Amino acid sequence: MTCNHIEDALLANGKSRVWSAEHGAHLNGCKSCRRLAAVLAAASPDVEAPVQPGTLREIERVLTADLHPVRGIAPKRQFAVLLIAIFVFFAGLGVLRLGWRGLTVMTAFQASAMLGALSIGAILLAWSLANQMSPGSLHRLSPASLPIAVTITLAILAAALFRFEQEDQFWMRSWQCFRLGMPFSLLAAIPTWFALRRGAFLSPRTTGLGAGLFTGLAGALAIQIRCQNLEAAHILVSHLGMAVLASILGWILGLVIEQAGTGLRRS
Amino acid sequence: MTRDCADDLLQDTWLRIHRVRHTYRRGEPVLPWVYAIARRAKIDGYRRARRIASRETPMQQIELPAHAPRPGQLPDFETLIASLPESQREVITMLKVSGLTLEETARATSSTVGAVKQKAHRAYERLRGLLQTGENR
Repeated sequence: MTCNHIEDALLANGKSRVWSAEHGAHLNGCKSCRRLAAVLAAASPDVEAPVQPGTLREIERVLTADLHPVRGIAPKRQFAVLLIAIFVFFAGLGVLRLGWRGLTVMTAFQASAMLGALSIGAILLAWSLANQMSPGSLHRLSPASLPIAVTITLAILAAALFRFEQEDQFWMRSWQCFRLGMPFSLLAAIPTWFALRRGAFLSPRTTGLGAGLFTGLAGALAIQIRCQNLEAAHILVSHLGMAVLASILGWILGLVIEQAGTGLRRS
Repeated sequence: MTRDCADDLLQDTWLRIHRVRHTYRRGEPVLPWVYAIARRAKIDGYRRARRIASRETPMQQIELPAHAPRPGQLPDFETLIASLPESQREVITMLKVSGLTLEETARATSSTVGAVKQKAHRAYERLRGLLQTGENR
């Protein structure tokens, strides 16, 4: 029995002061743990929260008994499926419009790894966004960290799958892919926005960051299938860079919404 | 925070709850849903107050006497948690004062259970240090 076990028990016990025999033995011998447990046990309901825990539970019971949703929000799964459908539609639209010549130059491994990673990133973001639409949802992945983790993973994958080479007219070629793919990301943002408005995202900046990257990945997927340039820096800067820019734009939009003081959207 | 600000915040919170009532999903716990909305209202309220305060000149500063614990006496909970960072203080208050579970706290703060545990453990470490420092004086 170590001090870590006592801390785990403090987390699990809530406001309860019941200790097992093993915990009790450690507390008898450890002054630091004894003092910590004593201070936390003395936590007064008057501190910051004048409402007693029992009263909170009573409020919860009364609210639950009388709660009738008004045009209730759809289940999370439905929203996630809707967002994924938006992603597939606009990525597919991009492929139809721009072609799929990129598939002829990528190896099967490169194509499946890169396109698979882009799709998985979009699915994870869709699920996270569906969660964020209802306050108090349980997040398995941090909504603030997920966009960053997805971006870093895709960047590492692109750097590992493709080679860095010297390229002529790097910035012009990058701009060409960028301007071809960005419209599909921006178009995907429109139905995504209308879908998300149905919910109540508590942190517009965080939601904007995730939604921006989500729509950006739709354009990135279309461009990756279209583009025959397999130079790693090109893919990082123009394909992934486009998704990152969309994410930043989403974050800025979230900041504007927050500043306007309309953090919670109504239906 | 003054009483007037607290009353405004309460009204704002209930108004937000009314506006987003459609986002409550049957079967999900109500308390974290309410807490999450109230927490967001609090954050927005603090930001608004900060913006207003930055444009105001304070009239008078009143110094309150510090209440130091007597030698050998444990410092009170309020004094201790006041020295914690905001995120850790919030988690400890929810767990220990409001009696929420780990999952409910994670839902209310829009984070994961692992993140809540991490913050709580860091808060405990800090509290241990503060208790030790207080004893050594």
